[in-house]
Amino acid sequence: MSKHAPAIKPADDPAFQLPSKLSALSIPLCAGGLFALIAGWAIGNWGVDSHFSMSAYLTAFIYCLTIALGALFFVLIQHLSRAGWSVVVRRVAELIMLMLVPLAVLFIPIVVSLWTGEGTIYKWDDPAFAEHHHIPAAVWENKTLYLEPNFFAARAVIYFVIWIGLAVYFFRSSVTQDETGEKRITERMQKWSAPALILLSLSMSFAMFDWVMSLAPMWFSTMFGVYLFSGGILSAHCAIAAGTYLLQKTGAMRDEVTVEHYHDLGKYIFGFVFFWIYIAFSQYLLIWYGAIPEETIWFYHRQLGIWGVLSLVLVFFHWILPFIGTMSRHVRRRPTLVFGWSVYILVLHFVDVYWCVMPEVYEGPGGGLDAAGGVPGIASSLLSAAGMVALMLGMILTIAGQTRIAASRDPRFGESLAFENI
Amino acid sequence: MSDDKNEKKVHGIVAEYTSVDSLLVACRRIRDAGYTKTDAFTPFAVHGIDEALGIKPTFLPWIALGGGVAGLVTALLMQIWMNGINYPYIISGKPYISLPAFMPVAFELTILFASFGAFFGMWALNGLPRFSNPIFTDPRFDRATDDRFFLYIDAKDKSFDQAGAEKLLGETGTEYINTVVDDDSSTTVPKFLLTTLIAVIAISFIPALVVARMRVTTSSKPRFHIFPDMDFSPARDAQQTTSLFADSRAMRPDVPGTVARGEMEENLDFLTGIQMELLSSVDADRAERLVRTYAQEGEPSEKASDQGAEPAKSVMDTTPWLEQNPIKITEAFVQQGQLQFNIYCSTCHGMDGRGNGLVNNRAQQIMASSWIPPASMHQQSLYAEQYPDGKLFSTISNGIRKMPGYAGQIKTRDRWAIVAYVRALQQSQNASLDLVPENQRAEIKAEQARVEKKLAEQAEAERKKEAE
Repeated sequence: MSKHAPAIKPADDPAFQLPSKLSALSIPLCAGGLFALIAGWAIGNWGVDSHFSMSAYLTAFIYCLTIALGALFFVLIQHLSRAGWSVVVRRVAELIMLMLVPLAVLFIPIVVSLWTGEGTIYKWDDPAFAEHHHIPAAVWENKTLYLEPNFFAARAVIYFVIWIGLAVYFFRSSVTQDETGEKRITERMQKWSAPALILLSLSMSFAMFDWVMSLAPMWFSTMFGVYLFSGGILSAHCAIAAGTYLLQKTGAMRDEVTVEHYHDLGKYIFGFVFFWIYIAFSQYLLIWYGAIPEETIWFYHRQLGIWGVLSLVLVFFHWILPFIGTMSRHVRRRPTLVFGWSVYILVLHFVDVYWCVMPEVYEGPGGGLDAAGGVPGIASSLLSAAGMVALMLGMILTIAGQTRIAASRDPRFGESLAFENI
Repeated sequence: MSDDKNEKKVHGIVAEYTSVDSLLVACRRIRDAGYTKTDAFTPFAVHGIDEALGIKPTFLPWIALGGGVAGLVTALLMQIWMNGINYPYIISGKPYISLPAFMPVAFELTILFASFGAFFGMWALNGLPRFSNPIFTDPRFDRATDDRFFLYIDAKDKSFDQAGAEKLLGETGTEYINTVVDDDSSTTVPKFLLTTLIAVIAISFIPALVVARMRVTTSSKPRFHIFPDMDFSPARDAQQTTSLFADSRAMRPDVPGTVARGEMEENLDFLTGIQMELLSSVDADRAERLVRTYAQEGEPSEKASDQGAEPAKSVMDTTPWLEQNPIKITEAFVQQGQLQFNIYCSTCHGMDGRGNGLVNNRAQQIMASSWIPPASMHQQSLYAEQYPDGKLFSTISNGIRKMPGYAGQIKTRDRWAIVAYVRALQQSQNASLDLVPENQRAEIKAEQARVEKKLAEQAEAERKKEAE
């Protein structure tokens, strides 16, 4: 090896502790996030209506959830493929995936809305929906076999049990290894990563069918789960890169994370930008050439007025611009640029989720800004999202303050330190 | 060259090392000494060797990018040219140049050309294909794929001087330095190889010539089958025996209850829309032919059986068509006709039968040159007096002008139902007020007055506009 890898520091080295600059932020972030979340809901509730405010809440929730699931996927994939390079950044992903625990609590309002008001979020919850839209009784009966509040809630419990089970298991194993340094733990995690991935993929796809696709109850696309997943895993890579960068900027892991790791994360980001459009286009193409009214209606809503603009924004700014921007190796080898693109894509992922959820809030084709709820509507959407993200960040920092920010006694830690791209 | 005969041309110098570290140290030494045409050979990939040797980052990604862009442009232009310009063809009612449909091919070609760019670009940059390299003449070099590391300085390097290079390499802790010389074996191809090659080429022409000759001559011998394809079918012929069934008959009798083609119980008038009795008195030949073909094959296209007999126009006019629908007209029957009409006919003839269906509209829009506009059902010449029900039925069954026959798609009874519905459509456009139930007349009158008023207003507005 050309440059000798830095020696592995002892596990209690300050390089593996959360910098105080960041840990001081955890309480303000949690409090501010909670406040913003409530303010966003209130503005939406009184500025527009309760249907809108809860949809804005759902958008923020799905945004954070897809990133947390993406992080869980990242951790599982690294174990499954026995990857050595990623060990120094894996703990960041592990901390992000742990957000599935508070997200389960934040899901409660969404389930409760099924019983408090008919059709507050999900239109199928409204008994008058079928009649209103001239849906034949037999068709509606089949739909409501699956879309039924109790069954819906039961499925949500199953999803969260799976996700939290996986996230907690992999997090605790990794943290235990910080103390014991046992190789056996890594082997056990590798063994479980394959069935865990199958469980995660299926449950995630079904959850997205339930929570996002059922907003338009008569529309269906088997690609939809994969579509949101592709955006989520892309954003998870961005979140990991951005989180690692922030940790380094505030003084932790200065020697451990190198240009090589950013380069690899950048490669992933580049690849998944394309994966995202590949999935998005696959879904669009099939529906477009089939041209069956009940399928095209979903895209039709998203071609009119402000939603049409948003669709084009996604094509140009979620795909073409970052695709060209992260194509070059020179960009990927500059941590500051990787960080910049990561933050950029994280913002665009919110637009993507917003584009999936919000056009369903209003019946029929949307017009101008009014379709997005006007000024109070946009303020509500942004505040909800900012609040949810801040709350999550605050919690991540709280947990990170109590553990290490790198799995420093992983058997492959040395390999990861010395990793170099050819 | 002649005085160099004994002194072989030096190609470069190679040095052997036993460890990666000593190789990397040596690499940096010669890099710092200013050598650029150098290369290292190792049994496995060594991180950082590019930097140690001072090798610049490769140009290859740009070739791959160029390939990708070329693929994208090629695919788009190709599809636009093929489907939009050279052979415009409507597919699923989409525009000729419809980007979503072109994307998959564009994507694939982008990948393909980028891969080609990377693959062949790599060849070009490495000077491949190359059949031999003088460095292989050194037997010790074989261990480059096993456990030894080699460093090579090319003689073509600007700052190359043999003694200096050897001295420099000697200082890097190598155990073995060797001068690589050009391969001095003769470059002329051995005569027997050339002879064999020419012979093989000559022989390879023989089968082609034999085939060519066979294609232009005749022969009394049976065909020679290299690939039998389906020339010899295991299927039995009629009247042959078989061991497959107990009664040894290869031809199987009908399954009980089967209605064979041509044994339909419906009468011929119903199937053809022609009054057969009358036809046999006017044109006995044709009637007999029709009876025979229907008895054999069920429902053939009458056109086909008629070809060459008489000019088509006179047949249409002289045939004694059925004047009346042979099926009793009920509301359900007309509704059935409406359903079938809307499925099969309305695409061209329009829902109201005015000939303004979607296909027609599209054809007008793109000004399709070979398009013949479908007839309107509401022209005088298609009314029952001039165009009997049987004739209309025959037209639906066998087609007319560009319209294909629908006998294969629509059941006989349904075709009669369409006839009934077309009559209803025609009546609906010319209905007088006393056909309407009494309690609805006032409503229609009001509507009529409203439309008339509106038309008058429009005409007034237009006149004013013109006057201005």
